[in-house]
Amino acid sequence: MARMKFYCDAERCIECNACVTACKNEHEIPWGVNRRRVVTIKDGEQGERSLSVACMHCSDAPCATVCPVDCFYTTGDGIVLHDKDICIGCGYCFYACPFGAPQFPEEAAFASRGKMDKCTFCAGGPEEDHSSDEYKKYGRNRLSEGKLPLCAEMCATKALLSGDADVVSDIYRKRVINRGSSAFNWGGNAKITG
Amino acid sequence: MIENLIDGPLWYFSLAVFCIGVLWQLVTIIFASRKQDLSLARSSSTSGALKTVFSRFVPHKEMTSKIGIQLVAGYLFHLGLFALLFFAAPHVIFLEQNLLGFGWAPLPHWAFIIAAQAAFLGLIILWLRRMLHPVSRLISTLDDHIVAILTFVVMLTGCFALLESSTGLRLLHRFSVELWLIYFPFSALMHTFTFIPSRAFTGAWFGRRGIDA
Amino acid sequence: MNIQTLLLLVGLLLPQLSLADGPPKQNNFPDGVSSQSLGADLWREVRQRDLQSSGVSQVKGVDSGILINAHGDQWARFRTSKLTTYGSIALAAMFGLVFLFYVIRGKIGIEGGFSGNMVQRFTDYQRIAHWTLAIVFLFLAITGLILLLGRPLLIPLFGKGVFSILASASKEGHNLFGPLFLVSLLMMLFSYVSRNIYEKGDLTWLLRLGGSIGDGHVSTGYFNMGEKIWYWIVILIGLVVALSGLILVSPNFGQGRVIMELSHITHTIGALALIVFSVAHIYLGWIGSEGAMEGMKTGYVDASWADAHHDRWGKECRDQGLVISAEEYARLQGKNPAVEVATEQGK
Repeated sequence: MARMKFYCDAERCIECNACVTACKNEHEIPWGVNRRRVVTIKDGEQGERSLSVACMHCSDAPCATVCPVDCFYTTGDGIVLHDKDICIGCGYCFYACPFGAPQFPEEAAFASRGKMDKCTFCAGGPEEDHSSDEYKKYGRNRLSEGKLPLCAEMCATKALLSGDADVVSDIYRKRVINRGSSAFNWGGNAKITG
Repeated sequence: MIENLIDGPLWYFSLAVFCIGVLWQLVTIIFASRKQDLSLARSSSTSGALKTVFSRFVPHKEMTSKIGIQLVAGYLFHLGLFALLFFAAPHVIFLEQNLLGFGWAPLPHWAFIIAAQAAFLGLIILWLRRMLHPVSRLISTLDDHIVAILTFVVMLTGCFALLESSTGLRLLHRFSVELWLIYFPFSALMHTFTFIPSRAFTGAWFGRRGIDA
Repeated sequence: MNIQTLLLLVGLLLPQLSLADGPPKQNNFPDGVSSQSLGADLWREVRQRDLQSSGVSQVKGVDSGILINAHGDQWARFRTSKLTTYGSIALAAMFGLVFLFYVIRGKIGIEGGFSGNMVQRFTDYQRIAHWTLAIVFLFLAITGLILLLGRPLLIPLFGKGVFSILASASKEGHNLFGPLFLVSLLMMLFSYVSRNIYEKGDLTWLLRLGGSIGDGHVSTGYFNMGEKIWYWIVILIGLVVALSGLILVSPNFGQGRVIMELSHITHTIGALALIVFSVAHIYLGWIGSEGAMEGMKTGYVDASWADAHHDRWGKECRDQGLVISAEEYARLQGKNPAVEVATEQGK
């Protein structure tokens, strides 16, 4: 059984935000909700790097641990999904998630948040595949069509990888090996201090 | 099945009972035979009526200190209930789609919740005072308690349904509203409408006799 | 070992290097050139080891510049394993203690029985404040416990679908009624504070645990030290619970997750303490001490009750002539036969 993972290569991400836009467009996500975001570390300084982050589909997901109504479930592919009919919009998953993946349509007074929304690895939700209900609540179900998440599929620099964990790590391992040689050739991270 | 009943026939039935009941009550009150006042008019009964309708919004000075908590709680409850009944976004949308065909600008969510909190606090305090004050308790009828509890249940089910996602909670709220509407014309809830004619009647009588009260 | 294998090893070691604290490893390159280990800087920033967020994102939102918040998982595990477990144990233990107390001591009656003569203990406003707080507190306690303990206790009974409806109702009710707790707490604070100041003799009461140790009753005034401690527990923990609740209920101000997590833990521990103590309070007021409930219901207590439980206050009342006869009390409560006849005729 495949185990689905995302990986973002910080050496390749150029902060174009195309993954964010693609995700929003594909799933018709309302304003204010961002299933994916690009975070830039040390913006404008030496060592600036960007990473695209969304739900990382943890094996032992803190959101699922803390959810008071137990609305999360893990699919056979290792994708963490949630049931919006069960969700009560308490916001605990957002506090528990290390990556800040859970999103809420509003953040109003008296904890009025609406139902949680997050990255589904383009795998929809508990509703019937390709039903209008599923699309309305969770967005497109690409995985059941044999397609991978759109954000990674259309990443221009192939910084964002998605798919079976073994395949993703193979690709990344090869990159590290190739890059390693150039780093020791005074390229990459070497810096002249003298 | 139960969903169709609550959203359909029971809703129209309760609405009909409410409208016809309230109209009938008001008509019978207004056209009730009264003895002609043969006294010489000392002053205008119209101005007396108008004055009293408004002057009764404020208690007499002598009474203020004794009924301070009712005054505050009473206004909290009534203003809060009015605001949440007519200016909560879900209510405005409901009235527009199901009854009136037009809507108006609703309160923002936080203001609506504060109105609801004021109403809840007011209602709880008023009902507690009714239960705890020996005189209030003695003069309270079963109807007074039913009215208070029914209104509280309507508000509480509405509060429970705030997430607007569960059909069950929505139906619970709507069902309690329907009970409330059916009970309305036959109970003390009629004071929503009768407080104006009743104040005006007293005011006109006082006015004609030149009583300044 | 060829160069490729070596590089592979280095590549695999990089994530481990990033986990180590301390300055980045320096490689010995020719003079004037240093090479930092690839990625170590980046991952140190990502993990926010120094709790300083240096990330920015085009996506605007709470904490959107933070890539990894390690506290979230700690908080989740603390809530799910510790808070629920110890919370329910404490609650069950208190119920057990109260039951044990009932079995051993039974109802605490008054020696020589009630006199029938009454004395006013609480004003209308005081009783309204108490019962407003009681109603709001019980509602919040029940809805709060449903949210905290519902997943282990109620989902197995009702299933997820039904429990979700219950939890949704509880959450909305809890959030709406929460601020009312602060209001009723303030009503409580102002209406009872003058009676809850420390007095001479309170320490004796405390040291002898209200007469459990040593012989006989400890002389007390209007409130004994136990009641005063309960009052200040309610006020102080209540304020902490109310204020942390206000932080939790206003995500619109954009406070970060760490503040929310700390507020949640403060809120839950404080609320559990209040709930656990309130079990004892409700038992003593309702069942445990005969004649006490009447005081909060009607505002009047029996003069013998006052003498038995609050002797100095009872004496004060007698000295000031505040004790009223059974007939007068019945009249005040509207139980006068003449009044009853009048109301009968009025119907």
